[in-house]
Amino acid sequence: MTTLVNGEIGETATRPATTRGQGDWVVVAGQESRDLWLSGRGPLLLFAFSVLLSVFTYLAATNRAINFLEQREAVDQTLQIAIAVGVLVTLLVSADAISGERERGTLESLLLAPVSRRAIVIGKLVAALTLWFAAFVVSVPYVWVLGHGVSIVRTALLLGLGVGTLLAVGLAAFGLLISALCSSNKVSLAISFFLLLAFFAPSQLPGGLPKGWFGDVLGKISPVGSGLHYSTAVLVHGHGWTRDLVYLISPLVLAVLASAALLILSERIVRLTAGGER
Amino acid sequence: MAKTSLEARRLTKRFGSRTAVDGVTFTAEPSEIVGLLGPNGAGKTTTIRLLTTVLTPTSGEFSVAGVPSTQPNEIRRRVGVLPESAGYPAHQTGREYLTYFARLFGMNRSESSRAASRLLEEMDLQDRASSPLSTYSRGMRQRLGIARAMVNDPDVVFLDEPTLGLDPAGQRQVLRNVREIAADRGATVILSTHTLTEVEEVCNRVLILGEGRVLVSGTVAEVTSAVAAPRTATLRVPDSEVGVARQILAGLPGLTIAASGERPDLLRIRRSGRDGMNTVLQALLAADVTVLSFEVEGTRLHDAYLALTGAAPEESSE
Repeated sequence: MTTLVNGEIGETATRPATTRGQGDWVVVAGQESRDLWLSGRGPLLLFAFSVLLSVFTYLAATNRAINFLEQREAVDQTLQIAIAVGVLVTLLVSADAISGERERGTLESLLLAPVSRRAIVIGKLVAALTLWFAAFVVSVPYVWVLGHGVSIVRTALLLGLGVGTLLAVGLAAFGLLISALCSSNKVSLAISFFLLLAFFAPSQLPGGLPKGWFGDVLGKISPVGSGLHYSTAVLVHGHGWTRDLVYLISPLVLAVLASAALLILSERIVRLTAGGER
Repeated sequence: MAKTSLEARRLTKRFGSRTAVDGVTFTAEPSEIVGLLGPNGAGKTTTIRLLTTVLTPTSGEFSVAGVPSTQPNEIRRRVGVLPESAGYPAHQTGREYLTYFARLFGMNRSESSRAASRLLEEMDLQDRASSPLSTYSRGMRQRLGIARAMVNDPDVVFLDEPTLGLDPAGQRQVLRNVREIAADRGATVILSTHTLTEVEEVCNRVLILGEGRVLVSGTVAEVTSAVAAPRTATLRVPDSEVGVARQILAGLPGLTIAASGERPDLLRIRRSGRDGMNTVLQALLAADVTVLSFEVEGTRLHDAYLALTGAAPEESSE
């Protein structure tokens, strides 16, 4: 019953509060994953990923056959494409996750459920990551075919899973942050795509990065570039797993910072309208 | 005495320099259907978003079923909402959609499945439970939206333009659902609409907003009589009796008559002072004038609404 105490609205609940809370993100993640995979978006992106990887693997295999490419390099390059494109599609899905729901008019209903904003973003993050894991599974046979005979398949797959997952977590969290802050889905997707290029491009400059301290810093601060550099160092140059760990700092920092920012800011930025209440 | 299920006190929302909701105060009781009226931009949707915790008030406070606005998660457990122009995921089926929201409200798989089946049946959607929402008509989607709003058995249900864009049969069905929610479940229904006939038909009370403020509140009869709408009527008599009718009317105090341009048989009557239109009709009948029609204006919610807001209600979004 409502009571007025000193002119203030009092608090007498008429039914016991449900205190589940912790499992909400699982429910959101389950539905978001179903939406991604059953709506056809996930399979379509995965199909495009498979086509691209098939073309690249074919080129790598034919180059290797005419001795333009050493077998380890062929595996490494295919793995790099798998990671780069795999995290790209993950980023695109996460960049659509909140701004897209705003545009489709489905976000308000979700915000009206007694679920914390944090649970919503964790669920969406997990759903986006399912696309990365699916892309990784698809890339396994390609790596196996190219690496067969030189016993680098297991190393390549472990590297791909580790580096790729680190990058996918960071970029998916980043994509969700952008999506929450952008009022338009197109803007969110454009910014996310641009940032991925900015993270990736320095490592792809013709002739490699410039020598000297600047090139060294540039190579290490670009999360995608440095992650792929680490993969090459282990796979092609035969470095030990711990020797070039410095190149994993950048992807790790991105993953930790983007995820932390997403979790901390979620209550403030996951709103019906982007950029505050309007 | 019935307990208050919804109470808003001095609720205010500013967006920068613009005040969308300005000191709105009202209460609602269980089983009551309250019509929320007002022209576009009056603050209806913002008021609903404040009371459902989607927006945070700039000042003021409210409670839902005794739960204060400082506990938004608990309030969301107690309200059901059909938002204005809600979107629906095209590939999901009606059952999947309701089951998902039931799960978000804390039900386990079997409970949520049962709740979805029950609600689909109540909204006459059981035959289409397994169809993708992309194949639903607008009326079916609105009913599904109402079903979703009922998934947590709420104390207060907010329906923002639930009949917008529906054909008359669809409107009738939604209004029947609204009545059932209040009567059978004992929930308070806040019905935001531009269709005043719906309000007259189903609402116990009315709240008319204008520029974010409550202009008037009360029952339909109270609001209509409280607002000084002009007392006018349109009289239709046979052409041969127009002269006699005019003579009789001229003898009544405080009465002005105007003929409708192309229809001399139609007389527009305006009466000032306290005398009503009953005496006009009595005088005509006493003189054996054949009254073909006598339509009194200024006694309907529509007239009160126009007098208060100066705007004709439109069927468009706010």
